[in-house]
Amino acid sequence: MTIILETERLYRRFGGVLATNDVNIRFGEKRLKSIIGPNGAGKTTLVNVITGRLPASSGRILFRDKDITNRPAHSLIRLGICRTFQITSVFLGLTAFENIRISRQSRKGGSLRIFSSRDSLMQVSEDAWKILEDLELVDQASTLARNLAHGDQRLLEVGMALAGEPELLFLDEPTAGMSPAETEHIAQMIKKLSEEISVVLIEHDMDVVMSISDEITVLHQGRIIAEGPPAAIRGDEKVKEAYLGHE
Amino acid sequence: MVGKILALGIVVLCLAVFPFVVENRFYVSLINQMLIYGLLAMSLDVLLGYTGLLSFMHNAYLGTGAYMVGLFLLHVAPSSLWITLLVGVMGTIILALPVGWVQVRTGGLAFALLTLAFGMMFFTVAWKWYTVTGGDDGLMGVPHPDISLFGWVLGSTGDPVAIYLLTLVVVLLCFLLTWRIVNSPFGAILEAIRENEDRASFVGINVRRFKLMGWLLACGLAGVSGGLFILWRGYIGPTTMSAFAGAGVLMMVLLGGMGSLWGPFVGAGIFILMQDYISTMTEHWELFVGMVVILLVLFMPRGFAGIGDRLARLGRERQ
Repeated sequence: MTIILETERLYRRFGGVLATNDVNIRFGEKRLKSIIGPNGAGKTTLVNVITGRLPASSGRILFRDKDITNRPAHSLIRLGICRTFQITSVFLGLTAFENIRISRQSRKGGSLRIFSSRDSLMQVSEDAWKILEDLELVDQASTLARNLAHGDQRLLEVGMALAGEPELLFLDEPTAGMSPAETEHIAQMIKKLSEEISVVLIEHDMDVVMSISDEITVLHQGRIIAEGPPAAIRGDEKVKEAYLGHE
Repeated sequence: MVGKILALGIVVLCLAVFPFVVENRFYVSLINQMLIYGLLAMSLDVLLGYTGLLSFMHNAYLGTGAYMVGLFLLHVAPSSLWITLLVGVMGTIILALPVGWVQVRTGGLAFALLTLAFGMMFFTVAWKWYTVTGGDDGLMGVPHPDISLFGWVLGSTGDPVAIYLLTLVVVLLCFLLTWRIVNSPFGAILEAIRENEDRASFVGINVRRFKLMGWLLACGLAGVSGGLFILWRGYIGPTTMSAFAGAGVLMMVLLGGMGSLWGPFVGAGIFILMQDYISTMTEHWELFVGMVVILLVLFMPRGFAGIGDRLARLGRERQ
């Protein structure tokens, strides 16, 4: 298995709390890895540190053997490290189409063209339409993101991440607040994506995690306590303890 | 689109014939002032309405442009209009660069507060540096260069009608340029930053870099308005740089409506009209202007541009 990204002894401190505690995690090429753990286990913090939203307190992050620790987020997007957020984060005052187009534009270039119209970047617009089609959001293309249904907003955010042509995509609870049917739809989409790119999934829905993951990493109090294929994690005593101990 | 161009054409035409219809030079000068402050308010709108950045010091860049142009006319080249204007704009951008470099490292409230601090520094320099700025006397006796194009003299900036027409042309060019820029792919980036700065960096936008470019664009345009200001007025003093005047420019944008470019011109017109009429009745005109702005913010939060949009939408629905 080729490693696309790995961390070496990664730490992130908040005052006295170690939200990320000596984490060594590896993500394989074209694999779907889920990160699970009880609330407060440090899942989102770990993703925030890797994707450049928070600086690491110490340790290293390597992307294809290149040190990318503490690089700004926008430069990581250019390497193909994209993400979505636990709390939906889209451009609320822009239309669905504009949301995708701006992501595509900033990835493909052309943002310094100050004398041409926005439609003049034809490839960018074309790609944006293609993504809307794939997500079945074409009918909502000219709807302001703030007026979209919750499920469509989540989907839109996935589309924005895809517009960045990710090689490694972090999805932070993509199914949060979605209906069972929507959850099933998005789970299938994620599975299909992982055939082409590496996907990292933070998820609470255990059915989704167990059915589509290639591998699972379990975090507890900032540390990795177990790692392995779904079957192994299901029977792991330490994992059960971590979850039950918190209930 | 055709309607917009037509509307702009009619407005510009009316403004162009105005000094030949209305002989009273006082009114020509008043509209001249509105155009200059309209340009300043429009450039603030690039920051506020398009990039989502609140600046209390934008008038300081009108002041900077005006002082630069004034000093250049006084000490270097008293008769070369275009070079002087260019120097004024470039000088303003150069002074705006270090401030912007610091500013773009912040956002939201911190950004706004920093502009207050920088604004005070600019004001103090203009007020206290007697040898250069003339202190509280300001720059006086600034020469009026001729307006010439390819060696052909069209008039003098000392003539109220000539400076009025020059102002109209320059403001129109700046408006068209800015309209082009905010509707470009670059403008789309500014809007994304306004909508959600955090998200913008996670679609790959170098937020600081684009905020700085937006800042320099807005300050450069303010510099143009400053150059026109001193050519029109023949004088610049430190009160133009004060925080009080800075709040006035913000009010113009709020009155007119953010994010429309033309709204701030309407806002500047109304503000200057109120200032002019109410100050003939009472010294405390600010009190009344303040009340009008409060009412507008409460009941017409999108300013006059909001009314325009609503009418346009009504018209479309009727069809």
